[in-house]
Amino acid sequence: MAPSIDVRFDNWLREYGPRGPEKVEADSVARLLDVLEERHPRLRFKVRDETGKLRRYVRVFVDGSDVSGTTGVATSLAGAKTIDILHSVAGG
Amino acid sequence: MARNDKLRILVGTRKGTYVVESDRTRRSWKVGPVAHEGNEVYHVVADPRHPGDLYAAVNNMFFGPEVQRSRNWGKTWTEIATPLAPMRKDREFQMNEGNPSAPVPRPLNNLWHIEPGLPSEPDTLYLGADPHLLFRSRDLGASWVPIDAINQHPARKDWSPGFGGACLHTIIIDPRDADRLYIGMSSVGTFRSEDGGKSWTPTNKGVEAPFLPNKFPETGQCVHHVAIDAKDPDTFYRQDHGGVYVSHDRMSSWKRIGKPLGDDFGFCVASPASAPGKAYFVRLDGRARVTGEGHFQVQEWTDKTRKWRKLLTSKAFPGHFGVQREGIATDNLAPAGIYVGTTTGQVFVSPDAGRTWKQIPFQFPAIHSVSVSNPDPR
Repeated sequence: MAPSIDVRFDNWLREYGPRGPEKVEADSVARLLDVLEERHPRLRFKVRDETGKLRRYVRVFVDGSDVSGTTGVATSLAGAKTIDILHSVAGG
Repeated sequence: MARNDKLRILVGTRKGTYVVESDRTRRSWKVGPVAHEGNEVYHVVADPRHPGDLYAAVNNMFFGPEVQRSRNWGKTWTEIATPLAPMRKDREFQMNEGNPSAPVPRPLNNLWHIEPGLPSEPDTLYLGADPHLLFRSRDLGASWVPIDAINQHPARKDWSPGFGGACLHTIIIDPRDADRLYIGMSSVGTFRSEDGGKSWTPTNKGVEAPFLPNKFPETGQCVHHVAIDAKDPDTFYRQDHGGVYVSHDRMSSWKRIGKPLGDDFGFCVASPASAPGKAYFVRLDGRARVTGEGHFQVQEWTDKTRKWRKLLTSKAFPGHFGVQREGIATDNLAPAGIYVGTTTGQVFVSPDAGRTWKQIPFQFPAIHSVSVSNPDPR
């Protein structure tokens, strides 16, 4: 059975649906985002682009480790407890 | 619907959307609703078929592009469907290994232009996007259909982006015929369709591409913007990277008119409803990409006499100003109002076809676009 994971969003992402932290059962980041996009359709293409990859300026942390530039959406969530989805430090 | 006596300037900026309100006198201006804070808004447009409806091409640097609509003159906005960007496997893009013949998605980079359809097609919208994509909606943006003859065009592999990206930024519909469409893309040039977008013909004859070895290719010109004449829909005014041009034959050929200006570089053009045969340009220094004479200026072209006139000869607004491709607009009143938004956040207004000018006393963020929502006819 896929683990139940606490997912936290930054303020901007909460405008697209999630009002606060959510619990999601998923075994990978991709599957977790599938579930979230089903719950909140406006999240579709916000965290991932149309090819399914994480957007350039979105960061996903698994138990505090940034997986955005490494394993990305393929990251396994076995044993994971917390996911943070944030927009990166950029802009001006 | 209550009568609308307001004239509004819709300003798309690097940091959001601003609706600026006035009346027919166009003497005083009030900054009204502000929306999309923190987003790059490349274009905001009113839909005159549905008073109160505004559309915005909103590009969020973190979370991607959205089409947004307001149904109350900009007080509140909601996201409506934003299209996918399908691509076939025979392009250089990512393959779909499971089904190699299927179109595969690729990222939609930025939305550039939203064009409401003719009054005869009250639910039609067109959307131009990067990379070189055209979409049509028949249900006011609830869903979008890709125009494959552009989006899957066999020559796409040879199409290059301009500095602003692979933007499809100009969409013009012939007011006499909803199936006659014109588009402009950087740096590909202009195309015309006579069959509602099923097929397209390049329309760049006579337009120079100074940055290519072949100076007059069929495509590859970096068109910056095009305006259609209000009374003669066979006539177009074009600001290209390679100068200023006019066409009197539905873009089948172009004649360069900008040479008397010296450097005829620029990005924007507008032609007013109340003064057919006239077009307004903001000439920029080709290197610095700002007004080169030390002050804000607008050039007026009169097609009948083939003469240029500077509308601001004094130094009322000293400085070097940049203006982007959607940075000039005209209203449909007489005399015409002219509106120019700059990359340093000024909006300059002339309520009398360029005779007098004032600056709206508000510092906007860098401006991508200005357009006009006209008051109801008297």
